[in-house]
Amino acid sequence: MHQNQNTSSQDSKEKRPKFFINDHIDILVEILKRLDGPSLGVAACVCHLWSTVARNDTIWEHLCFRHVSSPPPCSVRPVVVALGGYKRLYRVCMRPVLSRLSDSEMVKRVWTRDEVQLSLSLFCVDYYERSGRLGAGGGGDASASSLMFLCNTVNV
Amino acid sequence: MKRDHRDSRATVTARQNNSKPEYSSPPSSALNGKAKIWEDDQDGYSAGGDMDELLAVLGYKVRSDDMADVAEKLEQLEMVMGSAQEDGISQLSDTVHYNPSDLSGWVQSMLSELNTGDDMPSIDDPLLAPAESSSITSMSFSNSQRSRVFSDDSEYDLRAIPGVAAYPPAYSPSDSESTRKRLKTSIGSDSNGSSSGAVSDPTRPRVLVDSQETGVRLVHTLMACAEAVQQENLKLADALVKHVGLLAASQTGAMRKVATYFAEALARRIYRIYPQDCLDSSYSDILEMHFYETCPYLKFAHFTANQAILEAFATASRVHVIDFGLKQGMQWPALMQALALRPGGPPAFRLTGIGPPQPDNTDALQQVGWKLAQLAETIGVEFEFRGFVASSLADLTPSMLDIRPSEGEVVAVNSVFELHRLLARPGAVDKVLSSIKAMKPKIVTIVEQEANHNGPVFLDRFTEALHYYSNLFDSLEGSSGPSQDLVMSEVYLGRQICNVMACEGGDRVERHETLSQWRGRMDSAGFDPVHLGSNAFKQASMLLALFAGGDGYRVEENNGSLMLGWHTRPLIATSAWQLASATE
Repeated sequence: MHQNQNTSSQDSKEKRPKFFINDHIDILVEILKRLDGPSLGVAACVCHLWSTVARNDTIWEHLCFRHVSSPPPCSVRPVVVALGGYKRLYRVCMRPVLSRLSDSEMVKRVWTRDEVQLSLSLFCVDYYERSGRLGAGGGGDASASSLMFLCNTVNV
Repeated sequence: MKRDHRDSRATVTARQNNSKPEYSSPPSSALNGKAKIWEDDQDGYSAGGDMDELLAVLGYKVRSDDMADVAEKLEQLEMVMGSAQEDGISQLSDTVHYNPSDLSGWVQSMLSELNTGDDMPSIDDPLLAPAESSSITSMSFSNSQRSRVFSDDSEYDLRAIPGVAAYPPAYSPSDSESTRKRLKTSIGSDSNGSSSGAVSDPTRPRVLVDSQETGVRLVHTLMACAEAVQQENLKLADALVKHVGLLAASQTGAMRKVATYFAEALARRIYRIYPQDCLDSSYSDILEMHFYETCPYLKFAHFTANQAILEAFATASRVHVIDFGLKQGMQWPALMQALALRPGGPPAFRLTGIGPPQPDNTDALQQVGWKLAQLAETIGVEFEFRGFVASSLADLTPSMLDIRPSEGEVVAVNSVFELHRLLARPGAVDKVLSSIKAMKPKIVTIVEQEANHNGPVFLDRFTEALHYYSNLFDSLEGSSGPSQDLVMSEVYLGRQICNVMACEGGDRVERHETLSQWRGRMDSAGFDPVHLGSNAFKQASMLLALFAGGDGYRVEENNGSLMLGWHTRPLIATSAWQLASATE
């Protein structure tokens, strides 16, 4: 957007187009794709629009596989989506797995295929347990208990 | 003799035998801790109606009405001793004083001595360590502060238990008492009323009571009870089992729970109240689910077995898994997911699940199959399920299982904690192994407890089981989960303990055997081992690293098999097998 060169008059100031990020969802998405998990969570709290955009699963997919050395096979996506989506995968499995297995969560290191594979397996178990619970009408908890061990704090 | 003075106070009459040796006491520092009399307790567990029971177990005889008085005096004593120490009084006389097990008498006498005098009173009575005779003779007694007589890291270190159990039932009471005394005198003085003068300074023994000592006593008593049961001395066993209950109350944590479960199992065996065999399999499934959630053993089993199966299925387009114990089917989602993401796409997956009959005739197997089918559809794997109800695996024949070699189906047989049950019936395990061979599987995965709970001698089984379950409970203690899960897991294990200890014959199904025993069996049945590989090891290690409080878990590789253990003790083992001289 070009700015009016005449900055002295108030009229020109009013006419100067302002850049609202919310008008440009695609740019917003590109930016959010590059955030880490906690920042993404914070971003989702900014406003309704950001919250909706942050729920976009492709953003979380980028987050999940950002640090994997080789890109995952294309067969992964339909499976993950069917099991609950990348946001859930990140929240329930990947983040705890990685924070447990690495020294510091902030260290951006390469996630090994084994860690990804383990996370996916646990994610599948989680889905299976949840589906069983809903079927039995027991319900209640959103997260399956077999993954409770991931949610508990570790004594460092 | 000062003993008279004591006699006038003590109401315990059972054991006023004058043959008790008297030893000079440890110096003042020891008196800060609680002193313990070993011998007095032994006769005393059934004596003294109005003695405080819990203190009696620890070796003190205190009348219940005297308790408040004794407490007050102990406080006074502590104050006085504190000030006496500051005065630099460290010398002790060799004079004989009182039996500290009579707590009120002892305290009174101490107070009167301290108040009058310069000398610190010395306690002469048998203040010796409990009858770990082997450790006593090798221990060097010193006058240093607070030396622990029994310093041992692990409450479960059964090496501490002497060859003869603490309560040798075969001996008559007087003999046993003298034996014990003899064991206890490290200085070798005679057990019959030798005077205090015989014991001199350098070898002055000292005892401090801490809960580890009661823990060791607890183990001793359990062992003694088991030995009594073995020798069919049920009266003694009965008395000891009650004693165990009291001792267990003084413990905390894993030791307490283990002791309680073992005491219950022993009691059942003594009174012949055998537990019902597996009341409701859905109840045991629920318990197992909690066990699955609380600790990594089952997850380890599933992940390592799945890895072996996955590698065996590497290029197959149609696969068939036969699960000897389907239960809730928790093993299979992870395998199905791995198959779905296999490069080249998922194979057609067929699962045959075997389970026990349900009391209310609900088809639990079909429900599980349906859930798995839903999952399969979600992730895009072609899935077929068949369930078989069988009260024993030996009832199955391969023809029932509808193996389809014509379709190029690759078969895997999976057994997690199921094979050991077959050992209860002679010939059953051989029949099943030959059935497995007839199924022509590419791989057979077996997960079993790493312990020998199937020996012919009850006492050996008892010792082994005590060690095993102590470690298992210990590992559970660190788990941070909802406490209800923990309790249910413990109940799950408690039922196993009960079965191992209290049942016999066909009812005793928890006939665990070690990996080497299973290896021998599989070898002679015509199977060759398959090495589990580094992927399985890596996955298992990663999985364990995820468990909070999981520092104690260890994965070990053992000739191609993987074992998961707690600290140095392996607890479960996964192994994989193929048909011998399989040509492929």
